Amino acid sequence: MLSPLEETLLSLMMVIIMFGMGSSLTFKDFRLALRHPQAVGVGFASQYMLMPLIAFLLSRVLNLTPEQTVGLVLIGCMPGGTTSNIFAYFSKSLLSLSIMMTICSTLAGFVMVPLLMEFYTQGIDDAFRIPPDQIARLLFVLLIPTLIGMWLRRKNSNIGAVIELMGGILGAIVILFLVVTWVPRNWRLLVETGWEVYAAVILIGVIGFAFGYLFSRVLRLNPQKARTVSLETGIQNGPLAALIVIMTFADETQQLILLMPVMYSLFIVINSTFATVFYRRWTRREELARDQAKVEPA
Amino acid sequence: MSNAQYYNKKPWMKHYRATRTEAGEEATIHHLHDNLAALIQAAGQNYRQQLAFTTCMPNGMNGRLTYGEVDEMSDAFAVYLRECVKLEPGTRVAVQMPNCLTLPVVVFGILKAGCILVNVNPLYTKREMEHQFNDSGAQALVIVDMFVDKLESIIKQTGIKQVVVTSVAQWFPPVVKGVLKLVLKHWNRVIPKHQLDVDTIDQALKKGREAKSVASIDVRQYWQHLARSDTALLQYTGGTTGISKGAELTHGNLISNLEQVDSVAGDHIEPGKECILTALPIYHIFAFTVNLLAFYHKGAHNILVPNPRPIQNCQRAFDNYPISWISGVNTLYNALLNEEWFTVYPPPSMKVALAGGTALHKAVAERWRTVVGSPIAEGYGLTETSPVICFNPIGQERPDCIGIPAPDTDVRIVDEQGEPVAVGEPGEIIVRGPQVMKGYWNRPQETADAIKDDWFYTGDIGVMTEDGYFRIVDRKKDMILVSGFNVYPNEVEDCIARIPQVQESAVIGVVNDQTGEAVHAYVVLREESITEKDVIAHCKQELAAYKVPKIVVFWSELPKTPVGKVLRKEVRAAVTGD
Repeated sequence: MLSPLEETLLSLMMVIIMFGMGSSLTFKDFRLALRHPQAVGVGFASQYMLMPLIAFLLSRVLNLTPEQTVGLVLIGCMPGGTTSNIFAYFSKSLLSLSIMMTICSTLAGFVMVPLLMEFYTQGIDDAFRIPPDQIARLLFVLLIPTLIGMWLRRKNSNIGAVIELMGGILGAIVILFLVVTWVPRNWRLLVETGWEVYAAVILIGVIGFAFGYLFSRVLRLNPQKARTVSLETGIQNGPLAALIVIMTFADETQQLILLMPVMYSLFIVINSTFATVFYRRWTRREELARDQAKVEPA
Repeated sequence: MSNAQYYNKKPWMKHYRATRTEAGEEATIHHLHDNLAALIQAAGQNYRQQLAFTTCMPNGMNGRLTYGEVDEMSDAFAVYLRECVKLEPGTRVAVQMPNCLTLPVVVFGILKAGCILVNVNPLYTKREMEHQFNDSGAQALVIVDMFVDKLESIIKQTGIKQVVVTSVAQWFPPVVKGVLKLVLKHWNRVIPKHQLDVDTIDQALKKGREAKSVASIDVRQYWQHLARSDTALLQYTGGTTGISKGAELTHGNLISNLEQVDSVAGDHIEPGKECILTALPIYHIFAFTVNLLAFYHKGAHNILVPNPRPIQNCQRAFDNYPISWISGVNTLYNALLNEEWFTVYPPPSMKVALAGGTALHKAVAERWRTVVGSPIAEGYGLTETSPVICFNPIGQERPDCIGIPAPDTDVRIVDEQGEPVAVGEPGEIIVRGPQVMKGYWNRPQETADAIKDDWFYTGDIGVMTEDGYFRIVDRKKDMILVSGFNVYPNEVEDCIARIPQVQESAVIGVVNDQTGEAVHAYVVLREESITEKDVIAHCKQELAAYKVPKIVVFWSELPKTPVGKVLRKEVRAAVTGD
């Protein structure tokens, strides 16, 4: 895992990144995202209904140990991660919707996480609480910098655009950093881990993307919103899951459970990068197609 | 009453009275200046402190110039051309760039220097560039850095002796400019390296300012003597006959057209208060006359969008500026109306949208009025006529109509012999007015073919209604003759366009042994769920048999002009192989 210093540094970077992401937004963007409020509802449902179920079924299918099951289901129950916003930005999905979903799901996670954990892993329910300071942290990392970015954009769109660009570059660097430093440091873990863990942490992301998308399309969200929900569903707050594990368990058990969030956090970055490249091309094609499409009669 | 008398009576005159209360029998025109330089300088002085141009990038980055700055910079550029490059009055200077801050500065500078402007499409191929530089005899060129690599390989074959290079990010705030240039160079890779000996636009202006102060030059001396009959602009047009030729537009042509626009739309334009979105390229005559000249003259704030595709690129411009006017073509309005951000939050300050270039579809016009809640007025014109010939009076627009002729303009519909046809009959539109070009540059034969007895033959087939509104039927040269019957491709294309799965089509005539010509349709689909037979079956239901396409071919796209007009000529060339 990351050292405390790195954690703090990462949070700080996240603040700057969200500041940049915020600079790409206007209040209109949020109002547009809210024009179909069901999108937030759909996201909520896919986050808290689909994901825990997928995680649970995956553990059954892959025959995971009880510890690994707890770890995987915990990931399934987590709210959306802040990195989902970076990927939403790069994939040209609806950043405003993504941010709103992250905030809503985290607030709801306060109640939902223990409830779901109770349901899927009976007996050890009470331990799985999101520490309250995490909410404050989220607001600090996500909401406030976004709002400041938006305000700045309104004041001066040149400064806003430059900060957006810087935030984007920093976002890419952070993601690259996570991947590049993680592998050499944890190579022993990577070698010793069995295939079913790999399968579980990779699949939960991929299946999350796919089901998030399909689910939203079935519920008639437009493709761009569906892609946003898809990313939000697949990308869970891995570090938060790790934190909860560390606070809840000790010794051997802790290490066994911890393996899942840690492995997940690594692979979701890789998964999401692929999804982002794919979605970005898709968005571009749609933009060009819309340019050409016929106007429906008034 | 003979047909000619009916047209001479100008039945459209009565519609002027409704729009201009003070106008009498003849719509009055305010006579402005004697040349464009004087007009430009006057606007620069009148609105000195106000914002003239803002370039707005897709991410909202922007750079801007005030009227005072544009005035001073274009003066410096005029001095640079005359004193440093040593150009004679009347020398052609080419400008090749997308919409950006440099464009108005150099265009105005060229006009103030008494030189002749040559607008060049930046997307031209090397061969087209070479042709246009040589045909116009341009001696200097201002070009955007993105396209210098094309120039490098052909410059030796041209008479260009001085090149000035600029960038889309020119005169943006320093950090923003730096960032933008880095992105364009290393991320988008659109700025090629080159070995040419050039001046940057900043160097050119610096030299101009120095020369100006050393010899204490009054720029006025370059343009004071220019008269309405002097040539201001060579605007190249492909026409339908292949090789592109330069329409020679005088100061008088362009100023007259401004006056004509002004006398009809002027009441809706508040001097110094408007904000116009320029998403169409200014190297095209529509945006050149309307956006650049007419609205600069009116002290408007002009928002320049370098590249409106995808249309998303215009979103920040609508977010950040109180757009009150917009000029566009059907495809642009169509694209805007397909965007949620536009339809949910249409620009609240929008007054009038001007449409031209190609026919404005009825569905688009209606939707625009519903969504935006303000008029969209279609006009008609050609490069050769500076460009406006007809437009719909604002507030009295009619669907599928190009409106009524501009004040001081005579329009007739004539047959093959040049005789006026009866009202309601189709025929070629011919036009006479102060906006009609001097001729094609160095092409007396083509000029004589196009302008006969002061009447310019547009090559468009049109119809006039009883009360003087005009409607376009088609291009004359595109008309198809099937067994002696006239088929207008537009009619067939409209019919095909009503198939929901069709995006667009081009209909042309191809030589046929039995019928002389046969109708062929090249169709682009939105959804590939229909066959060629379905298209023909649909046409059979709606059209007379001789109009139904004999052959339907599905294509993935159609060749188009920069403003989105389908080029039937190129479709024909691709099909027949020449």
